[in-house]
Amino acid sequence: MEVRDLKLYYGNDQALKGINMMIPKGRITAFIGPSGCGKSTLLRCMNRMNDLIDTARIEGEILLDGGNIYDPKVDVAELRRRVGMVFQKPNPFPKSIYENVAYGLRLQGVKNRRILDEVVEKSLKRAALWDEVKDRLHENAFGLSGGQQQRLVIARAVAIEPEVLLLDEPASALDPLATLKIEELMFELKEEYTIVIVTHNMQQAARVSDYTAFMYLGELVEYADTDTLFTTPAKKQTEDYITGRYG
Amino acid sequence: MSDASSSQIDQSARVRDLLPSGEARAKLRRWRGIKDQFARYMIAVFGVSVVVCLGLIFVYLFSEVMPMFQPAAMETRTTYAAPGGNPAQSVTVASDRHRETAVRFTDDRRAVFFDPRTGTVTNEERLPLPEDAEVTARAQAEPRTRLSAYGLDNGQALVVRHVFSERFVDGQRQTSGGIEFPLGDEDTALLDVVEDGTPITALTIQAGSSGISLVAALADGRLRMVQYEQTTSFMTGESTVERKVYDLEPPPGAATITSLLMDITMRNLLVGDSDGKLHYYDVARPARAALRDSREVLPDPNASITAMEYLLGTVSIIVGGSDGSVRQWFLVRDRDNINRITQVREFERHGAPVNLIAPEYARKGFATADENGVVKVHYSTSERTILSRPISDGPLRVLTFAPRANSLYAVDASEQLHLVDVRNPHPEISFSALWQRVWYEGRSGGEFVWQSSSATDEFEPKFSLMPLTLGTLKAAFYAMLFATPLAIMGAIYSAYFMSPRMRGVVKPTIEIMEALPTVILGFLAGLWLAPFVEANLPSVFSILLLMPLAFVLFAFFWSRVLAENIRVRVGPGWEAALLIPVVLFIGWLCVTISPQIEVLFFGGDMRQWLTDNGITYDQRNALVVGAAMGFAVIPTIYSISEDAVFNVPKHLTQGSLALGATPWQTVTKVVLLTASPGIFSAVMIGFGRAVGETMIVLMATGNSPVMNFNIFEGMRTLSANIAVEMPEAAVGGTHFRILFLAALVLFILTFIMNTAAEVVRQRLRRKYSSL
Repeated sequence: MEVRDLKLYYGNDQALKGINMMIPKGRITAFIGPSGCGKSTLLRCMNRMNDLIDTARIEGEILLDGGNIYDPKVDVAELRRRVGMVFQKPNPFPKSIYENVAYGLRLQGVKNRRILDEVVEKSLKRAALWDEVKDRLHENAFGLSGGQQQRLVIARAVAIEPEVLLLDEPASALDPLATLKIEELMFELKEEYTIVIVTHNMQQAARVSDYTAFMYLGELVEYADTDTLFTTPAKKQTEDYITGRYG
Repeated sequence: MSDASSSQIDQSARVRDLLPSGEARAKLRRWRGIKDQFARYMIAVFGVSVVVCLGLIFVYLFSEVMPMFQPAAMETRTTYAAPGGNPAQSVTVASDRHRETAVRFTDDRRAVFFDPRTGTVTNEERLPLPEDAEVTARAQAEPRTRLSAYGLDNGQALVVRHVFSERFVDGQRQTSGGIEFPLGDEDTALLDVVEDGTPITALTIQAGSSGISLVAALADGRLRMVQYEQTTSFMTGESTVERKVYDLEPPPGAATITSLLMDITMRNLLVGDSDGKLHYYDVARPARAALRDSREVLPDPNASITAMEYLLGTVSIIVGGSDGSVRQWFLVRDRDNINRITQVREFERHGAPVNLIAPEYARKGFATADENGVVKVHYSTSERTILSRPISDGPLRVLTFAPRANSLYAVDASEQLHLVDVRNPHPEISFSALWQRVWYEGRSGGEFVWQSSSATDEFEPKFSLMPLTLGTLKAAFYAMLFATPLAIMGAIYSAYFMSPRMRGVVKPTIEIMEALPTVILGFLAGLWLAPFVEANLPSVFSILLLMPLAFVLFAFFWSRVLAENIRVRVGPGWEAALLIPVVLFIGWLCVTISPQIEVLFFGGDMRQWLTDNGITYDQRNALVVGAAMGFAVIPTIYSISEDAVFNVPKHLTQGSLALGATPWQTVTKVVLLTASPGIFSAVMIGFGRAVGETMIVLMATGNSPVMNFNIFEGMRTLSANIAVEMPEAAVGGTHFRILFLAALVLFILTFIMNTAAEVVRQRLRRKYSSL
């Protein structure tokens, strides 16, 4: 996935000021930066969630497998199937655990019960949730704890076989133990998916990601592999931020 | 670093100086505490008062309804020797409406007037009957007319009327009684039924608008009808009596005539014979009178008719048998258009032969007595036997009601007069009379009818609540059929798809519609919409068909055919505004081509076409009400469900969209599900409003209490019925209380509905709530 000279305006305010970056396949890329730096906005550009904001206007291109996702011919719903997203706050639907995972498949018109059963089981296993919920698949998803809900949402996202998985601060609302589980999960998932994660937690970025991008005030300040960025940052701003000077 | 921290400390110290002192803050705390307590108690008081007020409404409705369900009572007030001297036997007793003067007719040809409270004789009259003749038959017209007739063994008859007059002396009411002779004066009162002196064996008399008629059975088997028509010359003021005589064909068989009954229209004559048969003669034109029907009225061939009397209005006959049975019969027209004597219902049996039947003066109630002295009080419409009580040890000779049915006069074989107080204010009520089919007088079968009043006194009130309840549900159903899809679809569109600016205009506009007085909506519906729909009936259906079609066509044209650069000029969420001209155009088109459609498909007049196809069409019908009342409930449903849809958390819709759902998939699979408790309660509140709505249904339904769901016919709802009839119902009467019962039914209906709705809503909310 490649971002080319991406600019985004909210009305007259420019939120992204010409971002260029290459997101490698099958790796975990983390976006870090202080609040309001535009890292979530950039993430949301990658599956066109910003389209939902009336005032947002976008210039530039994002290429997914060589095709521009902002091409008018692109079917947004199909794009979002290919580029899945998990939000900061767990957002299961008011349905059963099973139906939550099967939701994306049903949208794609899958009705066969056997296929659904299989995919639900597989996805829940991949999200490391199967053992905890296999006996209560048809109970309401709100009965799960916050960490379980978040893993359910990840299971829901992987059930439709996306190519890219966008995680918007997926662990910020969770306790340390649940966070640990999510991180382990990401590690396992990166075999199959390109993962982009936005996080406030630098330790988390350092722990899980292969590449890290530091953003500040709508600009991509520094983008390098995680070890390099955290040990020998090229820019003073980056160093200040990762050592806790500001943020 | 240290500079920064010291300045911070300085700053906080300064802020502390700015805060009010400890004393001031303690005072404030107290004051805040008081306000807090005050608010808490006030809220509790107001909350509890709301509940109490609602409870009081319930209590009030109940207090007005309860008297209807209280049991009736019958109690002997006094017993005294029949006034006017014995051993003369009593023939009949009657009193005035205040029960202050009564008359006792005796078999020694006297009319004794007395005070029924004490038995003191006030005056006595002698009937001018010839000394040498025997009284062989006696008849009484409807009690209200106070007319009676005596048939003699010389072929003569005497018609006499007792009268009660009231005078006010020093503001005190004084009543007195006397007798008069409607056909002549005391000297000429004796009439010849037959000139040849054949004895009269049975007699009936009835007074109608055209005069007085007598029918007499004679000892030689003849059946003779004599009509006296009284005409008053408007020149001289002199009245002349014209006498017409008709001989009717006697009933077949060898049985002798035992009883005769003629109704007040003087069209129907019923003849009972010693074989227990009842014969019906059509005497509307006496010269061509004919026997129409003969019938055994007792199922047991060994039983005989022991008493037979007309009820008020002389439509129903009550037949008492020697087997103790009490049955109601009246004439019912059969398929061949012939009146047949038909049994309608049966009342609680007596343990001994029924010997007396006393009809009430103003209602369809009656009392029966048997040979053991047991008296039962019945009511015909409600099919009830209300009271049953022994009055004396032996058979009674006389049993009559006081005019207001608040007393019974009973004379036993030892000439003791029992004054029996009867408290029976609401005999018309029974479960079957309110909720089941009732066979009303003059109808050919059981029906649900609401008809509480009429122009005549002898009318049988019909208090079936079924047509009203059904009408209420019908009106609400059609209103909901119109309003629910429009309101919910509109709510989804404006909450989910419409641009915020347009929503800011549309939502308050629809909510303002709620403030429109329903009387105006009803007025428009009744006086403009109803005639308009009648005149343009095809347009209603073509709009129903063409409007969605036009929407889809326009949407296709807009999104697929039109060039991109024109489309982008209209912002997302403003597409609905583009539909306004489409709606106007289709509306105009449908109305304009309506006559052509009528000519093409419906022979030029759709209303006539419907009628020809057996569909009744009323101008004020459920279609009009559905539209008008739908208009009134749309804002309620729209507003609540719009809020519900709008308040579906954004993270849920985004979660769905992020999984590759289209907006429409998101709406149907996530938004509607999450908003379902809110939408459900919106619909139920709308339904509650439609059920209780009064002004629109009052003005636009035609208020005909019909029992069907035909969209082209009107209805009468519980609420409109209360509004229409409450002003004319006598306070405390049965009609009045039934209207309160109707209000209670309405209250209970909405109560059940709201409770059920709340239960369902809570369940939905537990299931689909999102935090």
